Amino acid sequence: MSQTIEFPHLSKDESAEGILATWFVKSGEQVKAKQVIAEVMVDKVSLDVEAPIDGTITLLVQEEASVRQGTPIARID
Amino acid sequence: MTTATLKSEAGTRRLTTAKAISEAIAQEMRANQDVFVMGEDVGAYGGIFGSTGGLFDEFGASRIIDTPISETGFIGAGIGAAVEGMRPIVELMFVDFFGVCMDQIYNHMAKIHYESGGNVKVPMVLMMAAGGGYSDGAQHSQCLWATFAHMPGMKIVAPSNPYDAKGLMISAIRDDNPVLFMFHKGVMGLPWMAKNPRSIGPVPEDPYVVPIGKAAIAHEGSDVTVVSISLSVQHCLDVAEGLEGKISVEVIDLRTIAPLDRDAILASVSKTGRLVIVDEDYKSFGLSGEIVATITDKDPKLLKAPVQRVCHPDVPIPYSRVLEYEALPTREKIQAAIHTVMKA
Amino acid sequence: MVTDQMRLDFYKQMVRIRTYEELIKRDYHADKTPAWDIGAGLIPGEMHLSAGQEPVAVGLCANLRDSDAITAPHRPHHLALAKGVDMKAMTAEIFGRASGLSHGKGGHMHLFDPSQHFSCSGIIAEGLPVAVGQAMAFSRRKTENIAVGVAGEGATNQGAFHEALNLAAEWKLPVVFVIEDNDWAISVPKKVSTSVRDNSLRAAAYGIPGARIEGNDVEKIYEATKHAVDQARAGGGPTLLEIHTVRLWGHFEGDAQAYRGAELTAAEAMDPIPLYETRLTAANILNKTSVASIKLEAGKEVEAAIAFAKSSPEPLASDTYQHVFA
Repeated sequence: MSQTIEFPHLSKDESAEGILATWFVKSGEQVKAKQVIAEVMVDKVSLDVEAPIDGTITLLVQEEASVRQGTPIARID
Repeated sequence: MTTATLKSEAGTRRLTTAKAISEAIAQEMRANQDVFVMGEDVGAYGGIFGSTGGLFDEFGASRIIDTPISETGFIGAGIGAAVEGMRPIVELMFVDFFGVCMDQIYNHMAKIHYESGGNVKVPMVLMMAAGGGYSDGAQHSQCLWATFAHMPGMKIVAPSNPYDAKGLMISAIRDDNPVLFMFHKGVMGLPWMAKNPRSIGPVPEDPYVVPIGKAAIAHEGSDVTVVSISLSVQHCLDVAEGLEGKISVEVIDLRTIAPLDRDAILASVSKTGRLVIVDEDYKSFGLSGEIVATITDKDPKLLKAPVQRVCHPDVPIPYSRVLEYEALPTREKIQAAIHTVMKA
Repeated sequence: MVTDQMRLDFYKQMVRIRTYEELIKRDYHADKTPAWDIGAGLIPGEMHLSAGQEPVAVGLCANLRDSDAITAPHRPHHLALAKGVDMKAMTAEIFGRASGLSHGKGGHMHLFDPSQHFSCSGIIAEGLPVAVGQAMAFSRRKTENIAVGVAGEGATNQGAFHEALNLAAEWKLPVVFVIEDNDWAISVPKKVSTSVRDNSLRAAAYGIPGARIEGNDVEKIYEATKHAVDQARAGGGPTLLEIHTVRLWGHFEGDAQAYRGAELTAAEAMDPIPLYETRLTAANILNKTSVASIKLEAGKEVEAAIAFAKSSPEPLASDTYQHVFA
């Protein structure tokens, strides 16, 4: 069972770009549900992103990359 | 244990320094009702530099208190609550603001225990943001730990990484003495400031202490000793790792400024004979001079070469990036100092 | 309601304090001759005595419990004694002996007695935020205790005064602010330093009640402070009281007070103790015999405290390094 994690919607402006500020995990690591895996930011508002399920995580974007809201940022298998 | 050992701990979740500090405070607040936090914007905002993130949601306004802009008032209030047995954590937003409230800090918080002949305790943490490197100018970029260290009666810690930040904050809260917890904005791992990857690291979930007054060997080596504190430790580690195979660099992370771990400094310099000090605070009349005196008080012959001090020069911190980075102790300057001390 | 017994007690306490100040003054000056040297003698350093201000301390402290807190300024003796600080330990501290309250570490401006929640500081106005903090602790722990922050009229122009009042008002804390207005901040009179004639008007700036008490009358002071103390204890928040009093002697011992001119003579005529003695004698609460007896007893107690201090050992030099940290 695989689940994709998207960049959260922090701003109502859909065209707003966010930043994936910090990855707390690396590709291939085991993560647990509710574990904080990243910190993201849009327009100076920051938010922690949690893993939705247990599993092995694969990162899809680089740290400090600009990312549109809704873009997949990681996958958990 | 060195912080280098910690990096290889698989399965330990990683936090930024800011989150490690907030977690330390949260855990101590859960364990002890006498702990509370006061300061500007520490509530819903979570602290200007993220030191109290998430605390307001868990503990509410009665224990995470947003104060008016009244540093003398609320730092003094922290002292009063502490002498009556509570354990306040008070935040001074920028260390540079100490000018408006220094009397409470050095004439009261630091001296009451002594002036009372040991009869009154002040178990208080005063945390403050320090440091520059992001063009915040002369009045918002200073380190100033030496200014406080010069005056007796307060302990001063400045972590360089998330693991030490959590352990030192817990130690500070549990200490019966006033402890200044100085966090460099550049080690906080903030999303809105350029950060070194070393600002995120493994942090055990359960509470633990890092002892106040004990330095750590952040990188073992035998050719040269580099003593540093706070954000500069991260730069020193970058340089030390880059020089592996060419020069064996031992990096000492002081972790505590007062009381200074003179034994650790002496032990390393006895081994290497060569010393570089990296300190973002002003060069003269401060921490770097005190470290040199630690050696020369004991035995100047321990040194095979003159000490290299990589510090902010005795000038107010300039605003413009090119000027600020001319003054800051950068990796290039650290590496150059290592080469100089090796050649001498 | 002030009873005759209370009146008699007020008088006794004021005489006790005045006697103390007179004898300390005697011993302070005794060995600083022939040329006056502030650092010489059995009591070295600065000395700020409270002659004339006894009514404030006695009237206020009659309303306080041991477990209520006071932060006092650099002129603390009257407040310490009225609060219940032990006279012998306090005197030994003033003489710098090991048996002193702080083992000789604090001296006359840094008297700490945790059993009375009494402390004082040499920095103007800086005890006021601390009193606010003590009130915070009492309030958070749901005790009935209150804190009192005492300062001089000169302190009302210091930042800490304003911040302390604002915080106490905003957080509705059980603290009473008592300003001893003796007209002089060393040599600067209030009328050239302070933007309001009456500091109790400043209470309005913080939304708290304020009152000015004229006359340096111990009974009026007792009533006014009782009202404020009771209000704080009942959860009604802080009050600012400005109490007009008189500084009979110099700001510090050695102060020639040339700046006071004729005003000094007028002030001396307002010495509150002879005035109260006259009043109580007229009311048959005192007579010549009882006055003499009261003064004799006070003299004995103070001399015994001074003798205790003088015969106590000095601290050891090695004590210097103790008590920096707990």
